[in-house]
Order: sequence, then C-alpha cells, then structure tokens
Amino acid sequence: MTRLIDDSLRLLVQGITGREARMVTSHMIEYGTSVVSGVTPGKGGEDVDGVPVFDTVKQAIVETAPSASLISVPPAATLDAVGEAISSGIRLIVIATEGIPQHDVLRMLELSDESGTVIIGPNSVGVIRPGDSVKIGAIGGEHPARAFVPGRIGVISRSGGMTAEVGLTLRLAGLGVSTAISVGGDALIGSTPATLLAEFQEDPETDAVVLFGEPGTRFEEDVANHIAESKFTKPLVALIAGGFTEHLPEGTAFGHAAAIIEGDSGRPSNKRKVLETAGARVARTLDDVAGLLKNAG
Amino acid sequence: MARILEHHAKQIFAQAGIPIPEGYPAISSDQAATIAEGMDGPVVIKALVPVGKRGEVGAVQFAEDSRGAAMAARDLIGRYIGAYMVDTVLVEERIDIESELYLSIIIDRDERKPRVVISADGGVSIERVAQENPDAIVSDTVSMTRGLPEYRARELWTQAGISGPIIPALGQLTHRLWRLFVEHDLRVIEINPLFHTPDQKIVAGDAVMSVDDSAGFRHPELARFVVPGTDRSWRPMTELEADAQRVHELDPYRGSARYLELEGGNIGFLCGGGGASLLLYDHLIEAGGEPANYAEIGGNPTEQKVAGMTRVVLSKPGVEGLFVAHNITNNTQTDVIARGVVTGIEHAGRDPRTTPVVAREAGLHDEEGRRIFEEAGIRYLGEDTTLSEAARQMVAAMTSGGER
Repeated sequence: MTRLIDDSLRLLVQGITGREARMVTSHMIEYGTSVVSGVTPGKGGEDVDGVPVFDTVKQAIVETAPSASLISVPPAATLDAVGEAISSGIRLIVIATEGIPQHDVLRMLELSDESGTVIIGPNSVGVIRPGDSVKIGAIGGEHPARAFVPGRIGVISRSGGMTAEVGLTLRLAGLGVSTAISVGGDALIGSTPATLLAEFQEDPETDAVVLFGEPGTRFEEDVANHIAESKFTKPLVALIAGGFTEHLPEGTAFGHAAAIIEGDSGRPSNKRKVLETAGARVARTLDDVAGLLKNAG
Repeated sequence: MARILEHHAKQIFAQAGIPIPEGYPAISSDQAATIAEGMDGPVVIKALVPVGKRGEVGAVQFAEDSRGAAMAARDLIGRYIGAYMVDTVLVEERIDIESELYLSIIIDRDERKPRVVISADGGVSIERVAQENPDAIVSDTVSMTRGLPEYRARELWTQAGISGPIIPALGQLTHRLWRLFVEHDLRVIEINPLFHTPDQKIVAGDAVMSVDDSAGFRHPELARFVVPGTDRSWRPMTELEADAQRVHELDPYRGSARYLELEGGNIGFLCGGGGASLLLYDHLIEAGGEPANYAEIGGNPTEQKVAGMTRVVLSKPGVEGLFVAHNITNNTQTDVIARGVVTGIEHAGRDPRTTPVVAREAGLHDEEGRRIFEEAGIRYLGEDTTLSEAARQMVAAMTSGGER
C-alpha cells in the first residue's frame, strides 16, 4: 500500500450539501486539504465554499479528477454512494456515516474487495496527516493543530474522539503525528487496524504506532498476530479501554456498536495479553503512552 | 440488535413457506387448556420471552392433554425466565420426529460475510455440538450478491451427513431462510430444533430472529414484533433507561446518547465519546470511584439532549455527584455540553454548588464552555488535565463533599 494520504490528495465529498458535510468541507479547506468537487444528486451546478457540486461522481471525475472520496450521506443512501464511487474508479473512500444497515455494509465490503478499493469506516471521523496539512473528514474539527502537530508517530484508533485525545497527549509530550486514522466504531469496517499497519510499516516518516483499542471484535488480536509474524516491526504502544465491561453481563454494547463482548471473544484483558506476548507495549493509561514511546525510541 | 418473539417469528416463517407446528399464544392456564383441547394430542408449552436456551431453564414443557397444558401454563406464567417475567406462553402441537437438525444464518464479522451453519445434530445448543461433536457441523460463508441457492444448500446438508428424500425439502427451506435473512435485514436467523418427521417433512420447531436496529427504518413491517431493549439481553430496560431513550429519540439524528443503569454506586457518569467513555469509566474505578451508571453522550448533541441525559443520570437514587468528561472534541461543542449539564442539574433539583460535579471538557468552544461551568460553580478542567487525572479529581471531590 502506498501512503494513504499526502499533499497530492484531491478530495471529492459525496453529500457535500448536507449540514455536517458543509461544515466539515470548510474546515478541511481551511486546514489545507484540496477539496476539488462535491456530489449531491439534484444539486449539480451549485457550489459549497467555492467547491463545484455535480449530480454524479462520473461528472466530478471528468471535471476535477479527484483521487479519493469522503462520503457523508444519510445511512439509507450510503451503499448507493459507495457503489457510485467504486464504479467510477475511486479507490480510496472514507465513510463518515454512522448507523448504516449491516447488510448494506456487507455489500459495500464485497464491492471494495472485488475492486481493490480501500474503505476507511463506516463511522470514521477521518484521516489526518499534519505534516502535509491535509485531512479527510471531521478529524481535528475546526482547529486540528490543537490535537495534531506534525511528528513521527502513527495513530490507529477505534474511537474518533480518542484519535484526537491521543494526538493531544502526544503534543503535550513534545511528540507529533505522522498519520492518524480513525478506523470507525463499528464491527464491520473496510480497513481494520491490522491491515493499516502496512501503511505505517512502509512510511519512512513513521517511527512508531499508537493503537487505541476497545472491547469486542478481533482487531487487536489480529494486530498482535501481525507483530508476532514480523509483518509489522516498528514499536507499537497499545491502550485498550473498557476493562470494566468484563465484569458486567455480556452481550451489551458500550459506546460503539462494536464494543460488545460475546462469550470469551473481545475481552480487553485478553487483547492486552496477546499484544504484550507479541511484543507490543501495553499502556495502562494515556499518561503512560508517551513514556513507552520514548523508551521504545 | 433486538429480538422477535418466537410466535411472531413463526408467523413470518409461515408466510415465507417454511412449515411450522400449529400453535397459538395463551395468557392464562384456561386459555392454554382450550388450545390444547383443540389440538387433540400431546402439546408443547413454551414461555414467550426473548431469552436463548429456554429448554435448559425449564421454559419449554411438555403435556399429554389439556389438563397437563393448563398445569404447565400455570407454572410458567408469572415466573421469571432470566430477568423476563412470562406473561404469555405458546401452546403448540407436538411433532413426531425422526431426527432433530440445526440451521442458522449469522453475520460472520471476522470474514465480513454472512455465514450459514448447518448441523445434523440439532435440539441442543450449537455451542455444545461445536465442542462435543464438531464434525456434525458444516458451515460456509455466503456472498450477499450471489446468495444461497438451493443447490448450494443441498450440498451443505449432504456434507453434514444427511441423505434421502428429505434433501430437496432441506434445500428449499434453507434457501427460503436465506431470503428472509436478506429481506428483513436480519443479524441472526436460527431454527433449532429443525424437525425431520417420519413422513419425510421438515418443520421449524423454534424460530429465532434478531433484527438490525440500524435497518429499522426500512422495515415498518417488523416494528410491531420487535421487543425493545433486548439488545441488553440479561434484563428488560429499566425506567431510567427508557427515560434516556425517550430523551434521545426526541432528536435521534443529533448526537448519540445511551444510558445503562448499574447496581449501587454514587457517582453519576456522563461521558463521551464512545471510546473515551470506556477509558474514563476504567479510570474512575481505578481511582476508587463507584459509578452508578454508564452513560455516553457525544457526536455534537443538542443542549436539550445533554440536559435530559444529565437529569436522568442524577435521578437515580443514591447518586451524589456527577462526572462529565470527554476527549478533546473534534466537532462536539463544549459550550453546548456545558449549557445542557447546567440546565440538567437544575431540572434534577440539585444545586451545582453543593453537588460534587467535575467537568473535563476540551475542544471546540471550550473558552465559552469553561465560563458557563465556572459561573454555575462547577469545577472545570481543560486539555491540560489528562482523563485519568480528571477521574482522580472526581473521586476526591466525592470524599470532600461539594466543598472546594
């Protein structure tokens, strides 16, 4: 995988005329992202913050040659938007939408697998590369520099909010971020933390990675396997939240749809154990993360 | 993920051409007796509760006649199965069986595809079969676009060791189950036991359907069947949880809000977002605090929603303090959180100057947020205070009362 985003990014925003998307678009432009076009069927010819709006992705591609798409449309329309982007040749998609029917997500993932498209999300707050001053999505909000300053630490987080909090922790410790990725809070997501490790393995500007994990799924276990198999060889510091949920009746979702323990799978204690065994450093609190990174360097 | 009770799921099965036993719900022992009399033969009486493995907890009983059916109904109605009180039972004809099979379709989250699971060894929990007789289980992933045609289903059943005249019926039924799975956006559809009768028919002995809450908007036909709150499987929703859900549903598309009532505790917990709330709860416990609930609010909620959730959190008896904390926000406006919290404290009839409240709210509009919190007499912490330090300060505030 080549670098996920850098200053060559040309972004399309599907659903650009929505309330949330308008705000996010203006924040992205202000930060430095090249937002080249938007699509909202029926609103072709309008513009949002000077960005031309088209009726179809095909038109947007002919006129503006985007390299990636941010999808911010209602849950019921997301599968169609993803299908349109993929069939038009877009190969990097960030899906901000939350609460998409699971069957629609299954269909999107089949489409992305068949076409070799990278999907980040659904329910992702986005991706940011502070060194190039580019971001896709709401990540960092209006003032990304409050949480994300340029540096050499990669961040992968199952929580959008915690992506920012990890960035803040690094900044306060005098460190910075190469690329930060919010993978999305759902169990069915396009790019899992383990698959994204390749991005950081190959990025010469990343020295180490911080992973924020939660109960549920096998994402952290897969990361541990990647480390154990030497597919990822840089230092990795993991912080796994939600240990308390192990002491409550199973089958309840906390915070995110994916944060659910069923049977023995998904327990934070097990995730910490396998990560540690594989050679990752497991932080007890965010306050320990910077220290563990510095020791690693 | 909410469940549909067995008798409703069976109605949906019957409409899809999946054979079910004759049966009717009863809310009294007299009614159960009348139904059994009409059956003219042995019957099964099952508690209609959204709980799995009912057979193992005595929620499925057998009777030879109407008197036996009345006794079984009397035993079950009013009893608790798990945390659910039984108010209705299903009285069904008892089917003659040659063997019991198993069939389900689930979403395999690791493979990111639907998975069909088949077993020649039904009637017991599939987890047990997986441990004791794993060879009896055949399973495979299914493509959403290619689906599960009858021939594929026949292949799977023969792999499971089934042969003979029942094979075409199994192929057809499995395909129909797949269509139900897709048509209704299900997360789980399961038949256990699936009866194979001596006259070579297939009948669904049970019917489990779990719907995808996020697909509810396109399934109005299921709305009247879904048991709300069964995503929390160990007990029904409490009054405060229902109250919190109403608060959220006043404006469901602006921000997330969930509330889980827990036993005991004295700290009202109102944090976000999804990930930070988990970390903050861990930190509160580590610091020696006793949260009375878990509540998560985020995604730039409205002031009204924050106020409503604050009121709900403070309404639980025994709650003496309030912990409000978020990660540094991306787009959530901390001034809106601040206004909501202050209003909610008032609506709960508390005085923020005497109630221990700690707020750690950094990010968008946090200067204004700080002003609102501090004017109300609430201890404000910003980005320089880490999440774990904020939790420690909350616990300290509880022991020193509201005084500062």
